Amino acid sequence: MTSGAEQALRRMEAADRGFTARRLRLWVICAALLAFYAISWRLAGIDLHKLAVGLPKLGRWLATAWPPDLHELPLFALRTAETVAMAAIGTTLAVLLALPMAILASRPLTPWPRLYHPARWFLNTLRGIDSFVFALLFVAAVGLGPFAGVLGIALHTWGSAAKQFADHLESANLGPLEAVRTTGAGRLTAILYALVPDVAPVMLSTALFWWEFNVRASTVLGVVGAGGIGQELKNSMDLLDFPRLVTIIAVILVVVTALDQFSGWLRRRLA
Amino acid sequence: MDAPLPRVDVDPAEPLMRADGLAKAFNGHTALADVSFSVRAGEVVAVLGPSGAGKTTLFRCLAGLAPPDAGSVRVGGQDIARAAGRDRWRLARDVAVVFQQFNLVGRLTALDNVLAGRLGHVPAWRGWSHRFDRADRLLALECLDRVGLLAKAGQRADTLSGGQQQRVAIARALAQRPRLIVADEPVASLDPATAAGVLDLLRDIARDAQGNDGGVGVVCSLHQVDLARAAADRIIGLAGGRVMADLPASLFDAAAAARLYGN
Repeated sequence: MTSGAEQALRRMEAADRGFTARRLRLWVICAALLAFYAISWRLAGIDLHKLAVGLPKLGRWLATAWPPDLHELPLFALRTAETVAMAAIGTTLAVLLALPMAILASRPLTPWPRLYHPARWFLNTLRGIDSFVFALLFVAAVGLGPFAGVLGIALHTWGSAAKQFADHLESANLGPLEAVRTTGAGRLTAILYALVPDVAPVMLSTALFWWEFNVRASTVLGVVGAGGIGQELKNSMDLLDFPRLVTIIAVILVVVTALDQFSGWLRRRLA
Repeated sequence: MDAPLPRVDVDPAEPLMRADGLAKAFNGHTALADVSFSVRAGEVVAVLGPSGAGKTTLFRCLAGLAPPDAGSVRVGGQDIARAAGRDRWRLARDVAVVFQQFNLVGRLTALDNVLAGRLGHVPAWRGWSHRFDRADRLLALECLDRVGLLAKAGQRADTLSGGQQQRVAIARALAQRPRLIVADEPVASLDPATAAGVLDLLRDIARDAQGNDGGVGVVCSLHQVDLARAAADRIIGLAGGRVMADLPASLFDAAAAARLYGN
């Protein structure tokens, strides 16, 4: 007499043999993935021949880039400072705007549940449009210069940071908030007293992340005329001035790395 | 600035809190049906009952965290669920809640957590800026002293042990200057010795507040009969959302327990 376990094993083995629905599904998924990559390859215009021809050209440029042109280092430093400042002001503005929106967009905290979905849609729209695109619009509206970049960064980061803040608030332990509410404290007082101390470190950490991210992102905002080091980068590329270009890239790398380290260190301290 | 509010002089014979015909259902499932009982000043009432008896629902109604479908909870004659505006806010201050999970703000100090009990008494800006006046800080420290944790005042709440956290939560409740303390399973997350200590504390608070401040009533849910018999003056047995027993603790014997838990 076979045991129940042995019978179950035999049934599984029988099911594994032959052409099963599960196997068919696997093949269909593989074929669909293959088709997806084939089509994407065509659409992305992948041309290995062009790469083979282009790489030596790039190599020659690199060779002419040495030695780097250091004459304009003070200008580059100023432009980089402009970039960091754009990111700092834009991110700070965004974080300040994000805090009230995060309360509106977090289900257990919002004083007006009716506005929960509209608030989320609004933030998703801001988040869906890159700061680069916003900067393009603002260059047209307020003219060339870093201010357009600041507005671009602020709007995109507003949506992104507020959504993250709202998620932090929704996943926070709401017990202390409820407890403080029962002492007779008002809603806002209870949020500030019971919830903010617990979520402040992770909120600050998120804000620092966005500053760091925006410094990297805003190095290219100059390309659309929104100020900062990106402007010089584009000028050099247009003039095929590689010694200058290499210097600019080196300056960006140094500053971005230093800020990443600093911000990472600060975030570890907050954790 | 925080003038003492006139307290209704409570006749010792008159209950501090009276629950009358409380009923509540969730999706057609009855959680509470016609629950009535009262708590007097200076009295500790324990609510016992098997899991799913409706204890948590009852305590959310008593604490004003959930409105009952029918019936009322009256404290000093005022209905908690129907009070509005100033009355509602005053009732919130009069009823202090102690939770099973303590619900302290982990990153604040023990003292700051106790000061949260003053938030219903002070202007909002003091709460926002954590700037309480000297009298409030002194009161908070006295409350911490009362629960035996004065030495831990400056320590972050999340570094305290479970028993210590529950004591800080009780100090927070005391800082409210409440008339009623509602405690839902206050010792369920604690080891037996610590649990007995916390219940002794609640009983002492009910006893020693008697007379000087109008008297504090304590109503707490428990799931251990022996703890209830040691700490409570009266025991309410709840099963299937109904009150099955309402006895002086000394009369709640093994037979009563067996009937309540259905074995």
